[in-house]
Amino acid sequence: MNKKVAIALLLAALPLWAQTDSQWMLEQSTLTYHMSHPMHEVNGVSRAAKGKGTCHAGRCDFLIAAPVRSFDSGDSNRDLHMVEATRGAQFPMVVVRTQFPETAMTAPILYADLEVQFAGQTAYYKQVPFQRTAHGNEVQISGTVPATCSDFKIERPSFLTVPIKNEIPVRVEMTWRPM
Amino acid sequence: MLQSGGTGQAAGADQKQTNQQEQTKPGGAPSLGDLGFTPQQTQADAEMQARLEKRTHMLKIHQTLGLITAIPMAATLITGPQAKAKGKNGETITEPTDANLDFHIALGGLTTAMYFTTAYYSMFAPKIPGVQPKGAIRLHRALEWVHGPGMIVTPVLGIMAYKQENSGEKVHGIASYHGTAAWVTAGAYGASIVAVSWPIHWKFWEGR
Repeated sequence: MNKKVAIALLLAALPLWAQTDSQWMLEQSTLTYHMSHPMHEVNGVSRAAKGKGTCHAGRCDFLIAAPVRSFDSGDSNRDLHMVEATRGAQFPMVVVRTQFPETAMTAPILYADLEVQFAGQTAYYKQVPFQRTAHGNEVQISGTVPATCSDFKIERPSFLTVPIKNEIPVRVEMTWRPM
Repeated sequence: MLQSGGTGQAAGADQKQTNQQEQTKPGGAPSLGDLGFTPQQTQADAEMQARLEKRTHMLKIHQTLGLITAIPMAATLITGPQAKAKGKNGETITEPTDANLDFHIALGGLTTAMYFTTAYYSMFAPKIPGVQPKGAIRLHRALEWVHGPGMIVTPVLGIMAYKQENSGEKVHGIASYHGTAAWVTAGAYGASIVAVSWPIHWKFWEGR
């Protein structure tokens, strides 16, 4: 009788085992876009990103998102213009999804294929290198997403009729911890 | 598709619907709903987008007109001394020529009209609730309290000075501060333009 109960419990628990091997949560992050103009160099910083990752059957899926309005360049006028130019009220979140093999989680450099939803567009960045450093239980990830205005069909804002550079690289600094 | 393949290269696709960001990925992958953002943060707001676009449009006109206004303003300052009677009390007073006076008045009138048109596009640009002014815009706005009243006082003093000169009097009393008011106003106006452009990194020699 006891043997039958044990087998039944084991069978019931099997789907749970198969569901999720590990989960990760974004502890803290700094996302910094850099905008360049012949007269100005601007960095806009967001620390409001949230993220979650799940690894299952040797494959990891990570999702990171931040409100477009959370980016602060130190000038409220410029930030509002950025939200307008990137259609940030219509598409209020920048969402990044990535998948990679679980074995890549331990490598010092992680090459990630990114799917970035921003400004009503989706852009894909292949093999973006991120540095990975483990500190005890936590893992720090840093790298730069080579975003451009044209990737997201953003009309480049101009000052004195001169538009900003097309490149708006986004520096990513993240600390992840297992859930 | 824009481009694909290679390290860090991008390929793009239109998001057909606003709520595509909300989609849940299959296979237990995390979804946006798992992250704990508030609906206010994730909700699309078409009305706000329209308001932002109108605001940007009006502020672009404000910026362009503001820069153009600086030209007649500078010309008015330059022509000021030629529109002024010269000579001290007790000496022979040299009256300005009608042409110089009219030219100065016309430039002053043009500057005033353009200034208040420029101001209109700033004052009536849609306000965005919950946004505290931060950065260079604070000084830009503070200086409005100098050049705004200055653009009212300067023409009034100019009219007073004109009337005094026309009646054969040497400009006296408060009207004699017309020039000073003009210079203070123009100084604050120039500083206001520089304030929103600061800090400036001159890199025009670099490619776009």
